[in-house]
Amino acid sequence: MSAKKEGMVYVTSLQERIVHWLLAGSCLFALLTGLGLMFHSWDFIAALLGGHYAMKWMHIFSGVVFAFSLVAASIMWWEHCKFVPDDLKWAQQAGGYLWEAHDLPPGGMYNAGQKLFFWAVFVFGIILVVSGLIMFNPLAVPVVLARWAYMLHAASVMVIASFFIVHLYLGTFGNPGTVQIMFHGWATRDYCEFHKGKWLADREKKGGEESQAS
Amino acid sequence: MTEYIKLIDLTKCTGCRACQVACKNWNDLPAESTGFTGSLQNPADLSYNTWCLIRFDEIQNGSGMNWIMRHDACMHCEWPACVKACPSPGALVRTDTGAVVHDPNYCIGCKACTAACPFDIPRYSAEQEKIAKCTLCYDRITDGRKPACVTACPTGCLTFGPKAEMLAKADARAAEVQGVVYPRNPKYRTNVLYIMPKAINVAQLQHTNPNPKMPTTILWWKNLFKPFTLIGMGAVAGAAMLHYMVRGPHEPHEPENKEGGE
Repeated sequence: MSAKKEGMVYVTSLQERIVHWLLAGSCLFALLTGLGLMFHSWDFIAALLGGHYAMKWMHIFSGVVFAFSLVAASIMWWEHCKFVPDDLKWAQQAGGYLWEAHDLPPGGMYNAGQKLFFWAVFVFGIILVVSGLIMFNPLAVPVVLARWAYMLHAASVMVIASFFIVHLYLGTFGNPGTVQIMFHGWATRDYCEFHKGKWLADREKKGGEESQAS
Repeated sequence: MTEYIKLIDLTKCTGCRACQVACKNWNDLPAESTGFTGSLQNPADLSYNTWCLIRFDEIQNGSGMNWIMRHDACMHCEWPACVKACPSPGALVRTDTGAVVHDPNYCIGCKACTAACPFDIPRYSAEQEKIAKCTLCYDRITDGRKPACVTACPTGCLTFGPKAEMLAKADARAAEVQGVVYPRNPKYRTNVLYIMPKAINVAQLQHTNPNPKMPTTILWWKNLFKPFTLIGMGAVAGAAMLHYMVRGPHEPHEPENKEGGE
């Protein structure tokens, strides 16, 4: 599946793509069902999914999938997402997204913005999973803790849902050539030079073939 | 529809539990198998099948002792936290009679109301996967009758009537016995009121909330984070679209600029 392609670089492994879509899919489905539970006026979501009772269980099960894929994703991307000094330089110029940046350091596997998204999902994802477990049986904990769980669950959704829209935009329209990486794993060489210069140079220094992901 | 109030005059309760039995009777609630717990209170707590319970408290006041029997059931809040927390439309509703009613047909058993309630009233049944609580006998009061507990009460401890009338009655009775009306917080009104006897402080009684209010966490959840989830997503989507129109996609530039990164 990752046979060498002319002018292309193999960026993400099959494992990474599967974990990414499990995380994304469960997160989105939980968001959809969660919004359906939070907004009475959006009961069309429940109508589509077979009612609020069914939607409650769908929300719980997608939360379970989210929890496991969050663990897998964290283990997989932890090293890649540690901040390095270059990230500060990137952040000071907003990555060249908002104005012309002339001093951007060559990028690693992920830029500072992507790393920030990872840590936001990691931190607020853990809060979501833990508060979700409490909400599964609020009677098992002191009532004050249960109430905090409901509030923190909603607060975390607010953060992750907003980040998700940024991620969606920057992964598609904002950065042409990106979304394909999460489908078939390949990006053009030009793309990698532009976005992941340091990562590409390091890999070629190591003599890694383009058939070797990350 | 008139808004009603149920008044519980604790100076008149003899702990006969007629209300408890009448509640079971009218609402078709099965009896529970219980044991002796060292108190006349039986069953020991409210449950899915016990919506109304006489609680017995022995309170030492100086050299004397007060034995307080208290009719404990849903307080029917004007601004109910359970309804605010409930995710299923129609499962918990505050009606224009003042009664906060649950509808088992719509309850999805999420238990959010049990955490939200400032009085710890809704009770969950794992078997039924639903909650239940006092409905102020909504089916009776909309038919011009009084709640079953009030009808059964032999001492006049429980009375029921239109809101304005009952508020005046509560004030008059409180003045008469030099007690207080509870909860009588202008910021947190309920359609159930107690006359607390002079010698008794609410905080001394079991299963009470001396300072009932909508839990702040529930308020923040529903009034802040809930709308801002949509506002946040919408604002970011708008910003992304604006960015696309103003700055365009982020791509390597053609000759005009020097290539970066080399």
